[in-house]
Amino acid sequence: MPRFTTPLVLTFHARHWDPSHREQIAAYNRLIANLPDGAGARLLSAGGEGAWHELVFDDDDHTSVALPIVSDAGDELARRFGVSDEPAVFVIDTDGVVRWRHIGFDAPDTGDIVRALTDAAHRSTAASPMWSRRQFVATVLGVAFALTIRPRLARAEAMGHSTSAAGAEAAPVTLNVNGKDLTLQLEPRVTLLDALREYAGLTGSKKGCDHGQCGACTVHIDGRRTLSCLTFAVMQQGKRITTIEGLARGEELHPLQRAFITHDGFQCGYCTSGQIMSAAGMVNEPWGQRDEDVREAMSGNICRCGAYPGIVAAIQDVRQSGRAAR
Amino acid sequence: MISFDYLAAPDLETAVRAGAAASARFVAGGTTLIDLMKLGVERPAHVVDLNPLASRDATLATISELPGGGLRLGALARMSDVAWDARVRDDYPLVSQSLLLAASGQVRNMATMAGNILQRTRCEYFRDTAMACNKREPGSGCAALHGINRGHAILGTSEHCIATHPSDLAVALTAVDAVVHVRGPNGARTIPFGDFHLLPGAHPERETELRPGEVITAIDLPPLSFARHSTYLKVRDRASFAFALAAAAVALDVQSGTIRGARVALGGVGTKPWRSHEAEHALIGRPATIATYRAAADAALAAARPQSQNRFKIELAKRTLTRALTEVSA
Repeated sequence: MPRFTTPLVLTFHARHWDPSHREQIAAYNRLIANLPDGAGARLLSAGGEGAWHELVFDDDDHTSVALPIVSDAGDELARRFGVSDEPAVFVIDTDGVVRWRHIGFDAPDTGDIVRALTDAAHRSTAASPMWSRRQFVATVLGVAFALTIRPRLARAEAMGHSTSAAGAEAAPVTLNVNGKDLTLQLEPRVTLLDALREYAGLTGSKKGCDHGQCGACTVHIDGRRTLSCLTFAVMQQGKRITTIEGLARGEELHPLQRAFITHDGFQCGYCTSGQIMSAAGMVNEPWGQRDEDVREAMSGNICRCGAYPGIVAAIQDVRQSGRAAR
Repeated sequence: MISFDYLAAPDLETAVRAGAAASARFVAGGTTLIDLMKLGVERPAHVVDLNPLASRDATLATISELPGGGLRLGALARMSDVAWDARVRDDYPLVSQSLLLAASGQVRNMATMAGNILQRTRCEYFRDTAMACNKREPGSGCAALHGINRGHAILGTSEHCIATHPSDLAVALTAVDAVVHVRGPNGARTIPFGDFHLLPGAHPERETELRPGEVITAIDLPPLSFARHSTYLKVRDRASFAFALAAAAVALDVQSGTIRGARVALGGVGTKPWRSHEAEHALIGRPATIATYRAAADAALAAARPQSQNRFKIELAKRTLTRALTEVSA
């Protein structure tokens, strides 16, 4: 374990930390820069399993800092602070007492965090110079401040982002997904699929081949079935995006969803959301009525389990019953 | 994927200016470019998105009728829009069929006319940055020459490149003598389809006549009355969503049993969309019979030079062409 001689800002993620995402480092830097003089805070990131998380604090300084990382295998740290699947920010003093917390998908106010840190810094006395992970997990020993930062769904406008429309850096991108506008902080290279899954938390669209050959990532853009892995999210602003999460009407399944259940149109289920989204687009295209036409129209969706007979039956059931149009 | 600057082109002039940089790439459907960027084959520093142009000029993304007959396909028109268009299906069935037999339903909803004819080869050595490829890295050699070349070209090859041109649409377009409209730093110009794609020769990295910054704005299908009697026949390893091993785009004008006009192009076998004037000469003025079609097929493949694993393509292409001619004259 690294040795720390100064109070810490501890940030931990119940999920996966990806240091290649510069906006995360920029966000940390912003926090450091806003700490009161003499706080001497350092950063610690605890990464566990699963998806990485983006921080959305605005920042113009892109210099990086070295981030000591401890493993949070099994999300022990996250559980200790009562974090399950929601983003959260904690400020914890040297006694391990939570002084401030923010849990929820809305982004916290940076000013609130800084005020809480300042308050905690004034109360803190000394920091333990050395600790083990076990000690840390057990008692949060030596930690002046702990931040659990997991804002996935960011409200960029609340954070005062730059408004640059072009460039390689992460910038606010507004996507209309399932009828709601989501503003995400994205680099141009982020595909629509990655934006949906890793930034918006909509993991119904699957990543299979990531090269447009399997169809698992199929979504509708302006009502047409398309591959979310082969387009950049930044290109889809102003378009109407529908994912599998937006297909049902509340608790009422889409006719194709019901038909896939009725006809066993899946086995493992990995390709299913793509199959259903593709089918929901296909039924509005001028294909012929035969099973053969369905198979041809659906050839962009691969099913490793071989559930094709059920898939064709489900689609034909919906087409023949006239329930397709929705 | 490497990082890049993104520009949503506000107008054609800006697009041309931004796209003229060697490190810039245009994006429309994205189905080729983003795929290749993920592989590291394309590494643009600037990506210029042409899609916003359609909001200023709708004809860039739609199909319109030309004053003297024929159709204008906007460069941003999607494959599915063109494939299902009633005018295209009636007057140019080979174009509609070439589109419906290509890619998948999702890809066809994304990929554009201009992007389709600019799509890059599916040669696995081109797509693998660890391998030698003169097209991707001039002077590095051609790994396909002594590698797995079952799917490679047998017509138009050179000692530097044997990569097959993958487009089905482009085969149909060369058969009907389509015309490519471009806008560039020096204004607008047109390029006859047969001149648009280049043979690999000593410079396989040069694939088209396009100059830096030039944007395709439209593809014209000139009037061709007997294109109504046309077809696109595609033979591949699986029934759907696969590139051609051999394909034939044919249009025939048969009057009283005699062939008065013929258009023949081959796909899956050439380093560029392969128009066969040799086959057309062997057809015109002859009786519309199987024997004539076989002779035309022999003529079309006379110059074929197979690689170690794709000799079968010569006979396959001949039979494909013969069958296509038979079906269209039936």
